[in-house]
Amino acid sequence: MASISSRRLAKELAEIHSEGCPVGINLVKADDFTCWWFTIEVMGESLYQGDKFTLQFRFDPQYPISSPAVQFVVTEGRQAPIHPHVYSNGHICASILGNEWSPVLSVVAVCVTLQSMLASCKDKQRPVDNDRYVRHAPDNPKKTQFHYDDDTV
Amino acid sequence: MGNSSSSSSRPHQDDSVDFGYLTPQGVYTGSQDWNHAVVTQLICARRLAPFYRPLEDYDDSWTDDQILAARRSPPEPEQSSDSSRAETSQSLPASASFKSHAKRPSTLKDPAKPEAAIYRGAVECPICFLYYPPNINHSRCCDQAICTECFVQIKRSEPTTTHLVSEPAACPYCVQDNFGIVYTPPPWRAGIGQDGSWLDSHKGSSTPETTTPTAPTHKRRQKSFNADSPEVVTIDHIRPDWEAKLAAMQAAVTRRANRRIIMRQVGDRLIPVGITSGRVHALSGEEGGGESSDNNGGSRRSRRRQQHPAGPFEQYLGQDLEELMLMEAMRLSLIEHEEQQRKEAEEKKKKEKDAAGKGLSADHNGSSLGPSTSQATNGAASSPSSPTTSQSSGFLQIRQSSKSRSPSPAARQTTASTSNDLSPPAFSTLSAALSTTSTASAILNSSSDVHPSPSEIAQNASKLAAETESRADATEGQSQAAQEANGSSKVSTPRPVPVHADSSISESTTVIGTEATYEHLPSSPESSQEPLISKKPSATSEDAGEPTEMGSHANTPTTTQ
Repeated sequence: MASISSRRLAKELAEIHSEGCPVGINLVKADDFTCWWFTIEVMGESLYQGDKFTLQFRFDPQYPISSPAVQFVVTEGRQAPIHPHVYSNGHICASILGNEWSPVLSVVAVCVTLQSMLASCKDKQRPVDNDRYVRHAPDNPKKTQFHYDDDTV
Repeated sequence: MGNSSSSSSRPHQDDSVDFGYLTPQGVYTGSQDWNHAVVTQLICARRLAPFYRPLEDYDDSWTDDQILAARRSPPEPEQSSDSSRAETSQSLPASASFKSHAKRPSTLKDPAKPEAAIYRGAVECPICFLYYPPNINHSRCCDQAICTECFVQIKRSEPTTTHLVSEPAACPYCVQDNFGIVYTPPPWRAGIGQDGSWLDSHKGSSTPETTTPTAPTHKRRQKSFNADSPEVVTIDHIRPDWEAKLAAMQAAVTRRANRRIIMRQVGDRLIPVGITSGRVHALSGEEGGGESSDNNGGSRRSRRRQQHPAGPFEQYLGQDLEELMLMEAMRLSLIEHEEQQRKEAEEKKKKEKDAAGKGLSADHNGSSLGPSTSQATNGAASSPSSPTTSQSSGFLQIRQSSKSRSPSPAARQTTASTSNDLSPPAFSTLSAALSTTSTASAILNSSSDVHPSPSEIAQNASKLAAETESRADATEGQSQAAQEANGSSKVSTPRPVPVHADSSISESTTVIGTEATYEHLPSSPESSQEPLISKKPSATSEDAGEPTEMGSHANTPTTTQ
């Protein structure tokens, strides 16, 4: 029996295939229901004109109740955009990926939101604490936002 | 799918409500941590839609059989093909959520398939993307559909030690606080609570469609409901234990903040010999949690908490391993230290004998060191391997507050000896003790290797030595000295950490203050007292046009010293 996440992702994928992605967003790979890649580029005037970035989505079995782990891909010659909310390791600081995630949002909706996050950027720079964060950052960006202290007993 | 048995999955009327069920149908596989009794009651009262078996897909042109074939298989058996899916209705094992699921083939000629008819005009839940009968829950605020399966998944964010609030879940659609739903039941009834009912009278004779408008179209309502309206079911209704969970977390944090390092004065030195658990037994019994499956994180906590210390040894059960290890390490170092002191004292005695009556300075030294040293030796000799050593020499308990009602055994003796749990021990030597506390917390921070270096402590305690010199020789039991100090000296000394405050104040201050102190404990490598996400003012303006506000910015994702 397929889990809720694969069921929903299957439907999201079917919709992407049938209706296509919004302009500037392209599906790179969605071989399974755990990790998808998209490219996003900002259309029109922006600081990122002509740049193409790759977004990675990682899903856990509780998607969409739990948010996907979304980050920019910084391997294979790909770069994270220089943006005040994007760390050089590709992690993105966006509330909709953390505490403001809603199960109503979809993969495409996240892409669109991040696309407009880039589009509205006025100052190309890394977050102030980039170095410090990147040095200690967990692999999964979701662990950054949600810190569950185990010492609760 | 000619087999008519496929349409026969009529739930037993005792545990179904309007052809839906009282338990989830397996859309989600995670823990079911809501209060099942409350949910069942709400479903029976038709205030919450029952758990319907969702359709994978839906089309208005489908026949009843197609609808029933599209129904999602029940949770238990693994099904691969559509045809076998239909058969599961008969082979459903007794271990499934309820036995009477076991379906009996209805009359083959029965044209009435109310189970299918209820799906006419099915509605897609925007969260799980599955189709449900049109009598689906709607959000109280923005009137969006949500199936019960998804509704019970939505909950408050769990409080963490760094984020000690439990914010009410916002509506997934319009982000309004206090998410709740309103359910409009169908105009007919079946299963539990049916009243005379068309089902019995029509069973096998006429189609339910003739008597029941099975697909009442949901009229968009104009007003939204308040969270406290009687028809609204909120996510807090189905998880009434959220407050207990929050309180448990707060208690855990308070407990950590209340950990006291127990110091023992040996000669002119303060030796940390133990740590209190700081356990707070404010809560007893937990609502709701009992029924939920055991694999959620909360239950471990609650089980722990329910262990009330009945006897003296019960306390050990609840003691953190970390604390025990620390105490052991401290005890060993104390023994070592005492051994050394004993040797030194013996040597000194020898010397003193040799140089008897020669110099005044030596005499002075002896008077301040002598009694307490011998006292320590006595203590060590009587029972070197048990914490009860403390009884003979007495403990100083630093930063004791009324919160630590059941401290570790060593501390308990102290409490007993000072006999007043509520009054903070206002030592004149408090400042010295406090500086030692910070030393001790440094020790805590590197708890893998916890041998406090006596020299360091001695350094810190030098102030203490100066102040206690006069008293130390006179008093045999330190507890007496403590009480004495309680009354006599209210010394205001510069304090490195918020301490010695009234319990009411300390509750807020020490939590924060010591959170930082303990943040590098191995069990909480990433904890930080700063909020992990904080809104940047600049960010909001930047993203003002966003449909969902984007602006949050991780301030300090990981903590470094």
